[in-house]
Amino acid sequence: MKLADKIMTWARVKSPWVLHFNSGACNACDIEILDSLTPRFDLERFGIVLKGTPRHADVLLCTGPITMQTEERLLRIYEQMPEPKFVVAIGTCACSGGVFNGCYCIKGGTDTKLPVSAYIPGCPASPAAIIDGVVKLLGSLQE
Amino acid sequence: MAVLYILIFPGFLFLAFYGTVVEFVDRKIYARLQNRKGPPWFQPVADFIKLLGKETIVPTDANATLFKALPIITVAAVTTAFLSVPVWGTQAVMPFKGDMIVVLVLLLLLPLSFFAAGWNASSMYSTIGAQRVLTQLFAYEVPLLMALIGPAILCGSWSLSDIAAFYAAKPLFALLNLPGLVIWLLAAQGKLERVPFDTPEAETEIVAGAFTEYNGRHLAFFRLAVDMELVVLPAICGAVFIPLFSANPFIGFVLFLLKTLVLLFLLTVLKAAMARLRVEQMMRFSWMVLLPLALVHLFINLIAKGLLL
Repeated sequence: MKLADKIMTWARVKSPWVLHFNSGACNACDIEILDSLTPRFDLERFGIVLKGTPRHADVLLCTGPITMQTEERLLRIYEQMPEPKFVVAIGTCACSGGVFNGCYCIKGGTDTKLPVSAYIPGCPASPAAIIDGVVKLLGSLQE
Repeated sequence: MAVLYILIFPGFLFLAFYGTVVEFVDRKIYARLQNRKGPPWFQPVADFIKLLGKETIVPTDANATLFKALPIITVAAVTTAFLSVPVWGTQAVMPFKGDMIVVLVLLLLLPLSFFAAGWNASSMYSTIGAQRVLTQLFAYEVPLLMALIGPAILCGSWSLSDIAAFYAAKPLFALLNLPGLVIWLLAAQGKLERVPFDTPEAETEIVAGAFTEYNGRHLAFFRLAVDMELVVLPAICGAVFIPLFSANPFIGFVLFLLKTLVLLFLLTVLKAAMARLRVEQMMRFSWMVLLPLALVHLFINLIAKGLLL
């Protein structure tokens, strides 16, 4: 049983499929996420593949603060993902709400509604920071 | 002995292992052609194990039995088809008269199950993906069979093993089959739903096509079936169109690996070099270019049979 668990953790660390959701960002962080998937940064060398459907995804990449409009959709997408699943907040707005904090239509950062495993600050977070954050998240899973 | 053949070599276990190797080679070459580093060698295995350990969700609107049975049906169909394909020599493990047609029918089960999977999953994206799977099926399936009929007629047998043995004895006749090789490769690319014929799972349009609602181990087995198909189609192509065989089983097996990897390389270069065609462009290409070419190929082979044999 021990060995099986080890193999499973190894597989999970080596093959995270990500889903990208913009819950109200200004699009800068989204561009940086897509940038880190391009040949220049090549996330596939860590086994990270961008998937279009929540059913295939292991990691949900959230950008931007949660707005009243997107809250319901974000929760629905999170519920559609099969266990085990992780959420990464990318950019200052997703981490804390950022400059949008206190706005009447803003619910706050991603962690006000979802359990966030990793925070990657930056406005926008650079591809290098995103890769570093995701690799650190994967490293923490091994424990 | 038959059980060993079916379960271990060259049946399920070998095919699954070689399928993961082939998927890695495909992804690595694709990455290198895009000037990327590419995934590590264990990537397909890690993906498979991870998917086995995920929660499986069955949509409430779907028929649960069908939803769970389809991935197993596809894996079983490809494994069965592979038993009649020559691996280490000109003779397959279980050759019989007319096995060429049986192999193609078994491989036809794949797109049909993809269609059923997409339709059953009741998501809008998967329904569109399922329709596209069927639409594309009508485009590539005819050239796929027509490309094999030429060699079959020249040799006078409908068995893949007999065809391989015929061309092993008379390798020069294989030159007549060069158009067939091109047609087969292009049609196989359509059957494998890879770029430029990947409209059924166009992730930029319809997320993941027919597999949109699939997850966990069901998705793992669907991916395994596709990987196995990526072995079986080049293997058939290598057996029929490339007359490189050896009486020694070991050298024959190495030749088999070489042939499948070279053909896979061609398929991957095609995938990296092209953009996606629309469904109707794919239909037009198949019916207006591939099918006439296949008919010309058949005609040449008929004349050659009359004159040279």
